Amino acid sequence: MTFLDFVEGPMFYAAAAIFVTAGLWRIIGILRIGKKPDLAPARGSATAGWWKGNLRHFFPRGLFAERTWMHILGGYGFHLGLFVLLFFAAPHIAFIERFTGLSWPALPRWGFIIAAEIAFAGLIVLWVRRFSDPVMRQISDWDDHIGTWLTFLVMLTGCLALQESVVALRATHMLFVNIWLIYFPFSRLMHAFTVFLSRGATGASYGRKGMNP
Amino acid sequence: MTNIAITTLLDQTDSDIAAYLEACVHCGECAEACQFYESTRDPKYTPTFKLAPLVKAYKRHKAPLRGIKKIFGLVPDEVTEDELREWEPLIYDSCTMCGRCTLVCPMGIDIAGTIRKVREGYAAADIVPDGLKQARVNVEKTSSPMGVTPKALLAQIKHQEEDTGLKIPVNVQGADYLALFSSHEIMASPEIIGAYARIFEKAGLSWTISTEAYEATNVGVQIGSGPLAAKLVQRVVDEAERLGVKYVISPECGHAYGAIRWAGPNLIGRTFDFEVLHIIELLDRLRRDGLIPAGKKDDRKLTLHDPCQIVRRGGLLKEPRRLMDDACSNFVEMPGAGIANLCCGGGGGVSANLRAEELRTKAFGVKLDQIDKLGGVDAVVIPCANCRGVFEDGLFDLDRELEVIGLGELVAETLADDPPKPAK
Amino acid sequence: MRHILSLLAICLIVATSDPASAQDPGMQTRESIMERQRGLGLSGDYTLPSGQPPAPETVQPGSVPQLGTRGYASDSDIWRALRDGSANATPSSSTAASQLMQVIGDDWRMIRHDYLIKYAGWVLLGVILLIALFYLIRGRIMIRGGRAGNTIPRFSMSHRIAHWFLASTFILMALSGLIILLGRPVLVKGLGEWLMVGQLGMDASVVTTLKSVNGVLNNAALQGHNLFGPVFILSLLIVIIRFMKGNFFQKADFGWILKGGGLIGGHASSNHYNFGEKTWYWVVVLVGLMISVTGLFLLFPWLSDNLRFHQAATILHAVGALGMICFAMGHAYVGSVGMEGSLDSMLRGEVDVNWAKEHHDLWYEEVTGEKVTHDHDEIPETAKGTA
Repeated sequence: MTFLDFVEGPMFYAAAAIFVTAGLWRIIGILRIGKKPDLAPARGSATAGWWKGNLRHFFPRGLFAERTWMHILGGYGFHLGLFVLLFFAAPHIAFIERFTGLSWPALPRWGFIIAAEIAFAGLIVLWVRRFSDPVMRQISDWDDHIGTWLTFLVMLTGCLALQESVVALRATHMLFVNIWLIYFPFSRLMHAFTVFLSRGATGASYGRKGMNP
Repeated sequence: MTNIAITTLLDQTDSDIAAYLEACVHCGECAEACQFYESTRDPKYTPTFKLAPLVKAYKRHKAPLRGIKKIFGLVPDEVTEDELREWEPLIYDSCTMCGRCTLVCPMGIDIAGTIRKVREGYAAADIVPDGLKQARVNVEKTSSPMGVTPKALLAQIKHQEEDTGLKIPVNVQGADYLALFSSHEIMASPEIIGAYARIFEKAGLSWTISTEAYEATNVGVQIGSGPLAAKLVQRVVDEAERLGVKYVISPECGHAYGAIRWAGPNLIGRTFDFEVLHIIELLDRLRRDGLIPAGKKDDRKLTLHDPCQIVRRGGLLKEPRRLMDDACSNFVEMPGAGIANLCCGGGGGVSANLRAEELRTKAFGVKLDQIDKLGGVDAVVIPCANCRGVFEDGLFDLDRELEVIGLGELVAETLADDPPKPAK
Repeated sequence: MRHILSLLAICLIVATSDPASAQDPGMQTRESIMERQRGLGLSGDYTLPSGQPPAPETVQPGSVPQLGTRGYASDSDIWRALRDGSANATPSSSTAASQLMQVIGDDWRMIRHDYLIKYAGWVLLGVILLIALFYLIRGRIMIRGGRAGNTIPRFSMSHRIAHWFLASTFILMALSGLIILLGRPVLVKGLGEWLMVGQLGMDASVVTTLKSVNGVLNNAALQGHNLFGPVFILSLLIVIIRFMKGNFFQKADFGWILKGGGLIGGHASSNHYNFGEKTWYWVVVLVGLMISVTGLFLLFPWLSDNLRFHQAATILHAVGALGMICFAMGHAYVGSVGMEGSLDSMLRGEVDVNWAKEHHDLWYEEVTGEKVTHDHDEIPETAKGTA
């Protein structure tokens, strides 16, 4: 078995299994803590609030937009770029097809490159902010930095393997992907899923009170 | 002491709070919404940072996957008493639970609500500011944080009867509405009692005040003591149900509304046999039912301050505005008015906390700047007595002049003319 | 005489040309040879084997005459025509138009190999050495009078983020760029052939391994370099705009130069940015933009089919980048180890007031309204060799 076979085979299976199992464990664990029923008479719908909360917090409120624009720009640049990269880059679709049989149209190569550039720009700007801004310096911990760097390395090794002609580069990318998958559920990267629980909770509580979340 | 704090903190962590603690990505946007950070630029006032003791305890004792993390030595150390004490000013002096941080958080974390939970741990361990301790002592004696006795209340009621020429009902069995007041109103702006009398007379409501339960301010919520908060709510509930009222009116006071309306039934463990209304809600209803038609409008240039617990955290955005439109001909909104409006800086127990005075004045300064941007206002209308007190103190400390009016009072002043009542 | 020379010339050419065409005397005349030489490779007329110049109607100037059974024009004629672009031949790809072959690449290859690559590494090492020497001799330049303890703001958040964003992308570009330029020379020639095989006597197969390693590194480096290029350009533009204010040369800079920035003659006055900083800024602007433009051209080579442009682009890109890397190393040194208190400005955004008074006194006065006295205008104490 070559190194590539290993990282795309047994190690990938193990990493994916850990990702799914630990991720589910964490989410279900949070939900299982439970909540006492609210006895106060509702003024609005908690369910509608759950959805509204999730959608509303995608957009910064006018009053705060001026003070948070850099975060919004960098944040969305990174997340949207990464999303496009992950799901619409031809090599990724080919990989997913290999394991699931599903496939869908890919971006042309230049689209992929632009998405990657935007994602990198966003990630670098946000990380630079993390060690420059006194507020973020105060509240950041090693998990924030490792999460950022690991994601950056996954993206970087992917970019380095872009010509798709050197096996060692592809294998390195896959290795980092595996490490990232293993790290993910134990770290703050899980915000990808907990964000909806959190926004929903606030949304539901506000919605119940008849307020806009 | 630390143990009881930690145990309480963990008890307070339900699935919602857990979701919040698991979702924070340390982006620091909450700081941009917090007036205490804005006015001092000190990063320790970052809202999410204020939650650190809870986060530590949660990650060590309650978070999923803590077992595996413990094996690798990756769970935080136990919270120490020193840490709790170090965080006390952050929890009590630099937070009014105004909720602007909750609004701005991209993860939708209710940081303000979580501060409320953290205070439970602190209250259980009795690590609370002296000002609030004193309020608690008063409340246990008289139900009023300022120590207002039924005798004092009755004296104020008598003055109002004289001023208005109306009889003010007290302890009336079977009345429809039970009116609560805040100590601040009773002592500093008792005209509100007379205002209620005029409005309810006009509307033809059957209402009453009770000498057993007249205090709306819930010190329990400010300190963060669920048991104390429950006790105070229970007092009102027992009396309301004894008198057989249909509605309890929560006055122009911030946390009082949330305490009885939203937290109340959960605190005492059962639903009420009556409905809770905020006075502004009631006035809006009466106005829209045509029972209290508006008369000559106030033509001064007036603006409206949105008390955090009534508008953003209470849901009453439109009601005060409708009443303002009816009462004023020159009502101008300040920039940033509405759901995201700035806090007065003194809610949630901060105004009772002497240690926090300097910080509070700084936070209030941000509010004053907002009003200054509007320019040339004759007065600010504020449907919260605590906010009014904070405004008055802040204006004095900053050597500024600006008139501060209550909304209920304004509505009473601008009712349509009746034939004058004969003086008693 | 003329005829003897022609005969000689013909014999010479016959001797060196293709045997088949040796049967065609008079193919080249001395005139046509001289003419061609004078025109430095520009096309001249090609005579027919009979010695007559080609009839204008039948053979256009510059076209290769058709070959007959005995050869109408020699292979070397065709070769010459093809070399200097006078042949009417079209390569399969359209980018080179009618130029089938070009040999100006030889010049380019020579410049790149014998000058650029040969000296690039040494220049870089030289700069590192100079910086190290400066540190060992001069030491860390401490703040005169020590730190005051209180600070004033110098760089806003947006300044700092702009700077570190550019620094990050620059490092990525520099590392990948150096691998591209020097990967093979250093790994294969230097490490492999010279050191391991030549000096240490290892087996030649290490060179093959190193070639593979270099292949992988270069493949990766090129992909990274090409992808991050536009991100670098974005960060560069942000810095150019954000830092422009205060970076125009002023009167105080002249005095600063005369005092060697404080190295000679004690205190040198300066505004927000001193002459050194301003110079660096403008290097970043001009050289940075040059690297960006040439880099973009190298990313999209179809924008021009003039090979001179492509060649110039690669050389300018590399030379500019090397220059910038050298400057950047000096900048990083001064901004960190070299001078006490300078890193604070870009990391925290605030600087110690004594640092400000010493290094940017005019700016300090402008910002605080206080006058700065220069009572002790001697060379400040330095910590020699210690940080």
